[in-house]
Amino acid sequence: MTDSPLFAPLTAPIVRPLRWIGLALAGLIAAIAAGFGFAQSTPTLYVIFVTIATFAVALWIWNGFFLRWAAESALYTQAAAERAGRQVSARAALRGFLWRNKGALAGLAILIAGYLILALTVSGFLTWTNLFTTLFLAASLVFTTLTSRAFADNRSAFIGLMVLGTMFVVASLNVTGFFSGANIKSMLVFASFLGLATVGQTLVALLGGLDLAIPFLIGSSNVGLLYLIGLGIPSVIAVIIVLAIGTLIGLLNGVLSFPLQGQALIVTLGVGFATSGLTQILTSIGSEFAGNVFGKVPHWLSNVAAMNGVTFGLEIPPVIFVWIVVSAALIYGMKNTVYGRYLYALGGNRTSAQRIRISERRYWWGAFAISGFASALTGSLLLGWSGGGFIGVGDPYLFTTLTALVIGGTSLLGGQGGYGFTVIGVLVLQVLTAFLVGIGLKYEWQQFIYGLLILPMVALYARSPHIRTQI
Amino acid sequence: MSPSEARAGGATFDTFLLVPILLFFGLLIVAVLRSPSLITSSGIGSAEIVVAPLVLSTYALMATVVAGRGTVDLSIGPLLGFINVTLVQLSAAHVFTSPIAVFVYALSAGVIYQIVFALIVIWVRVQPIIVSLSGFLALSGINLVILPRPGGVAPDWMADWGAGTSIWAPSLFMVAAATLGWLIFSTTAFYGHLRMMGSDERAAYTSGVRIGVVRVGAHVVSGLFAGLAALSYTALINSGDPSQGKTYTLISVTALVLGGTSLMGGRATVLGSLLGALNLFLIGYVLSTFDFGAVQGFVTDLSYGVILVLSLLLTVALPYLHRWLRYVSPLQAFVVLGLVFTGVALHATYDYTALAPFGGAAPAAAPGWIATPPLEQVEQAPNFLRSLFSTRLSQLAVLLLAIVIALRILVSQADARRVTPLLYAAIAIGGVLGVWLLMDTNAFVSNLRP
Repeated sequence: MTDSPLFAPLTAPIVRPLRWIGLALAGLIAAIAAGFGFAQSTPTLYVIFVTIATFAVALWIWNGFFLRWAAESALYTQAAAERAGRQVSARAALRGFLWRNKGALAGLAILIAGYLILALTVSGFLTWTNLFTTLFLAASLVFTTLTSRAFADNRSAFIGLMVLGTMFVVASLNVTGFFSGANIKSMLVFASFLGLATVGQTLVALLGGLDLAIPFLIGSSNVGLLYLIGLGIPSVIAVIIVLAIGTLIGLLNGVLSFPLQGQALIVTLGVGFATSGLTQILTSIGSEFAGNVFGKVPHWLSNVAAMNGVTFGLEIPPVIFVWIVVSAALIYGMKNTVYGRYLYALGGNRTSAQRIRISERRYWWGAFAISGFASALTGSLLLGWSGGGFIGVGDPYLFTTLTALVIGGTSLLGGQGGYGFTVIGVLVLQVLTAFLVGIGLKYEWQQFIYGLLILPMVALYARSPHIRTQI
Repeated sequence: MSPSEARAGGATFDTFLLVPILLFFGLLIVAVLRSPSLITSSGIGSAEIVVAPLVLSTYALMATVVAGRGTVDLSIGPLLGFINVTLVQLSAAHVFTSPIAVFVYALSAGVIYQIVFALIVIWVRVQPIIVSLSGFLALSGINLVILPRPGGVAPDWMADWGAGTSIWAPSLFMVAAATLGWLIFSTTAFYGHLRMMGSDERAAYTSGVRIGVVRVGAHVVSGLFAGLAALSYTALINSGDPSQGKTYTLISVTALVLGGTSLMGGRATVLGSLLGALNLFLIGYVLSTFDFGAVQGFVTDLSYGVILVLSLLLTVALPYLHRWLRYVSPLQAFVVLGLVFTGVALHATYDYTALAPFGGAAPAAAPGWIATPPLEQVEQAPNFLRSLFSTRLSQLAVLLLAIVIALRILVSQADARRVTPLLYAAIAIGGVLGVWLLMDTNAFVSNLRP
């Protein structure tokens, strides 16, 4: 038992000093929490409770994660040195450690340099909040770097969760009203739309394709649903019709793009253009205002998606529950059903999947059909949210679905990732957007920051090995 | 090398070029029939300034797509926009306005961006499409910061570049230079390494190709094209526009795929990309000649999507049709369709009223028409094709060219027991006859007259 790598590390000589450091750090964090509590004149009982909880959590994180992996890596270095038959000097070990973590060190340097430059140039920047934010960012960076190595498979999920947590704390510190029920609710509603729109993109990406028809299908179903309701069709039946047509167009996407897999993104783009054009022609017939559809959105649909929606008496819009249910079903289903496992098998290696008689065609068609269904669903829900049909409602989803996917850590080459990763990516994107809007950045700067953020995030976990190791 | 090998090796035109060629001439014939003004001097002039940025950005995409690893540079549109808006803002601030400085700036901005792109791909080793997505978002954002809304003016000397009144516009020279540059580039050993790396990077690495250097080289070429594209785009709109990034990215990728290039890498032809971009332009042009009233834009979207999907599906069907298409080389198709098109164009633009007396039903102004020799009519007409043929020198040149080509093909195909030489001979005779008819319309008509 003791020679298993999971338990051996705690005997490493490095453990003892690190334990004391961890104890001191946890005490410090708990003291800060207590200070904040008293400063805000919270009832003493709460302060004591929160302080103890903070201390315990900090200590647990330190001992359970950081200590174990730090010790582990020390042991491995030692073992490797012993195998090599030479003594590793402390300096060489340090150099190796620094070299392995060069990315994190660069990030840390940039963070500190940025803080110093801002502090020296912008007047009024030197506040406790900003200092605390910077320290928190630095600590989170160090923690993530040192611990994320231990996750072999779900490294991107771990990093994504760390980024999510860090951003949430930073945003709560800096934006008043960020940590409020209303704001979290609105973030979750937007995340639900994005999350539902990304369902299809995730499945398609797992097979190594891309679906660019999603924004057009969202816009078309949005307009088409209102048109059908305006014709006098009962709203529930109208929604079913729209979902069915969406699935059919998704299937068409799959059928057309199957023989053209390398060009899937252009085929789907073409189908998307055609769909949105056809929808607008059909809805314009007999109308004086081409392209505009007027009508009344039924109450139940607006309740589902609007911010003040109510679910079984709870003041939470049902769309959030829809997303949670869909996510749970997908995350569970992808791991535990034949469909999910075969999808991964196909994405991972086509030839082997064919050898065990998995129908490549059926899964490709199926993934695109699901994508069409999810897009139509998103478009219908967006109608309930906005209350008016608009063909351009899907436009932001063209590259946002891709961005969420990439941030979550699903590979665009297929076979790696899953919907759980996408959920994390969607939440990161949403919290980041809310934070950037909260500190008053304009749309163009938000775009710029997304662009700069994607690269380091992906570089943290999706680096391909060097070509010389692939021969 | 035996003759059969020579023929097989000489097939530089791949079969997949057939689809863009067919589509091109189909669209061109419809376009000319719908709107003959396309092949006037100003029609071509305005078409080429519109199509030049698209062609050049497609080339820029092509250069990186060849490098493999699925390098579809989504950021090409915003890069175009970035060079465009910075150029406009810098020249408004009088930092530099001279043509040389502007050219150097545009090209080097494109090259530097692409080199950074390549270095990230090489060193950080993330998928190129993610780097390009990152660049897309960052550049789209920064473009709006530099120039919040469309506006500003291009440098003064660029003002009449976008006039589109003459065929010999600077945009044409840029496209020609880029095309020629790529053709020369594709004869080098470096290009061989590039294609090898694109189709199998591991094989290239193990056979000693320095893949890092090759990748950077491909991106440098792409950056040069991107700079040229930005210049021709600036000439087209004569101002700055930060918002066209997404559109240009989508249409460039579409044009590239329409031209038969595989997004998987290792395969690209400059002719295909050129035709793909021209086809995209022609689709829009043809659709704009129809009047659908209020739903015009929607019909355009619909037809655009349908044509896109259909032409891609044709590419799929090509291997199955190969049995019957084996004897149709794309070059042959190009020549035959070109002649068909010339006939249609002449028919569409020919002034038949000049021949009215011959038909018998003479209009009131008949004596005046007869008095005017048709050749002078030809020279006065604002028609590019006829003005091209109307000078003695160009007629002689065409004749000489037709004879030389016909002889060359006859000699090269002499040992093949096929009908192809006969076909070329027929085409050559047709061409010579056509030129002769145009040279001497007057005599021909008067001979026919009873």
